[in-house]
Amino acid sequence: MGTEYLNNTVQQTEQEAVETIDFKMVTFSLAGKDYSIDIMKVKEISHANTFTFVPNALPFVKGVYNLRGDIISIIDLRIMFNLPAPENTDKRQENLIILRLDDYQLGVVVDSIDKVIGINSINIQPPHPIFGDINIKFIQGVVENEGRLYLILDVEKIFGQDEDFVIMGAPTKTEQVYSDKRDTYSGPDTSPGKDQAIDFIIDTLRTFKKFIVSPVNREWVNRRFEEWIKIKGSKTADLQLQSESDADEFLSGFYSPGTGRFWDDTLRNSFLSLLPDFGRNTVSVWNPGCGTGYETYSLAVALRQKYKGASIKVWASDNDLLSISNAPNLVFKRESLPESMEQYTVEQPTGLQFTDDLKDLILFEYHDVMHPNSFLEVDIIVARDIISFMNENDQKRLVKEFEEKLRPGGVLVVGRNEKLEGREWKYIGNDYVTAYIREVI
Amino acid sequence: MRVEYINPFVEAAFNVLKEVLNTEVKRGELYLKSTSQPVMGVAALVGLAGNVEGRVLFDMSFDTALAVASDMNGEKLEKLDDLAKATITELANMITAQAVTKLHELGFTFDLTPPAIFTGENMEVTDSEVEALIVPMVLPQGKIEINVAVRERL
Repeated sequence: MGTEYLNNTVQQTEQEAVETIDFKMVTFSLAGKDYSIDIMKVKEISHANTFTFVPNALPFVKGVYNLRGDIISIIDLRIMFNLPAPENTDKRQENLIILRLDDYQLGVVVDSIDKVIGINSINIQPPHPIFGDINIKFIQGVVENEGRLYLILDVEKIFGQDEDFVIMGAPTKTEQVYSDKRDTYSGPDTSPGKDQAIDFIIDTLRTFKKFIVSPVNREWVNRRFEEWIKIKGSKTADLQLQSESDADEFLSGFYSPGTGRFWDDTLRNSFLSLLPDFGRNTVSVWNPGCGTGYETYSLAVALRQKYKGASIKVWASDNDLLSISNAPNLVFKRESLPESMEQYTVEQPTGLQFTDDLKDLILFEYHDVMHPNSFLEVDIIVARDIISFMNENDQKRLVKEFEEKLRPGGVLVVGRNEKLEGREWKYIGNDYVTAYIREVI
Repeated sequence: MRVEYINPFVEAAFNVLKEVLNTEVKRGELYLKSTSQPVMGVAALVGLAGNVEGRVLFDMSFDTALAVASDMNGEKLEKLDDLAKATITELANMITAQAVTKLHELGFTFDLTPPAIFTGENMEVTDSEVEALIVPMVLPQGKIEINVAVRERL
């Protein structure tokens, strides 16, 4: 039912969009001038700085690059168009637009990438023969948006394999070029479909928030996309995430309850209801990605309440030095604390802190989860909303690491909207907490 | 790396270098490393044992080591002889000892091993199952990287 509904919504929104916006383009700059490329040709935006040099290649071929397993050629558009290209001496990240052409992918290096603009193709003007920098037959047209003129590059023409690379040739007849192009951008393929829209969102989440869509969170992303269409309404252009704040808005519902503050009683009880009685004198917990420590202290209080006689050991780690530095001596306001946690606090000259007894349960470490650690087996791992922010390989490695470090029968808590697959993980979550028991197989 | 351990090492390195060399010291960005790391040419190593186990490595190039040793001795040393090596060893000892003293005050107790010094080209150091904290210190004489790899005794 879900997908049917989604399709209908997308069709509706697209029909309405044809009236106003039927052509979307990614805009960028080369030598201070504005250019754009049809979004249908753009697979994703990326950043990279080391390309493998290919001997004997044309000067504008920067080399080849491994994009998650696909080897693609990288072209420097500035050199190709005889524009000044600054030497990248300090190895900073280059802005890359990855193009999806007929049967292959290609990366182009540009000065800076601006945003996605939706326009109506009626407003595209033919290129004028006196354009100097770039051979006119590579220009699909010119369009004005918010006071700026964008040259729309025809990437099929530029990189088409049956075309000779003519960089500095004389302009051809404009009429001919224009009439050729007319058909191309009034066709029906100019309204990006659902797949393109969601693909672009996935790419921009990666760029802006380092949020990597994978089977761990795909279900939530799809659900959220459906909602997003309802919120953002008819124009497909409005669906795109054009800035970090758009990406934040898209992800706003993703984070688990109680992120960045103390857990309220509902959350604590939901968490505790999932924990078995381990029947041991010690309960050890690993809490990677603990940030400033709010989660860790909430966790320690909850465990202290449940496992009254047992000795509790919480290893909390984060790779953000600034956040974790403050965690061992976290100072907070009384208002931010649920009443049930108050008995574990003490007034210090610097402000309200947790008692030494509670702090002694916790060991905060500056640690990167992708590095080896010396933890022995633990009973509980609480790793909410951290898997989604690593690349797919690291996600797999981390889940494997969790499996190795968790005792059989131990509990792994992941983000509210994260999901694990595999026979070794048995789902035991509830409305507030997503958790798995590690099964022995 | 336990959070409480970080500052004592950074502070001790900063204070000692500033004092013995009487010069400006700039602290670089701290970071974590886990794979094998190249060593620049001269490495003084101090082992730690007690509540924690691990080691602290002071890593610098030949030129930096010579310049630092020269300044500490108040005379220009031409090559990395016994005197120069003893000077670098002493520097490592002073910094580690000061850090450990600070940690004692915080309630962490551990002992030091006598420092050892390694010199040579194309060396690298690998720690199994421990990640290292790198504290880069930038001096007019060159860069000294203080590489701390310790773990809790379980």
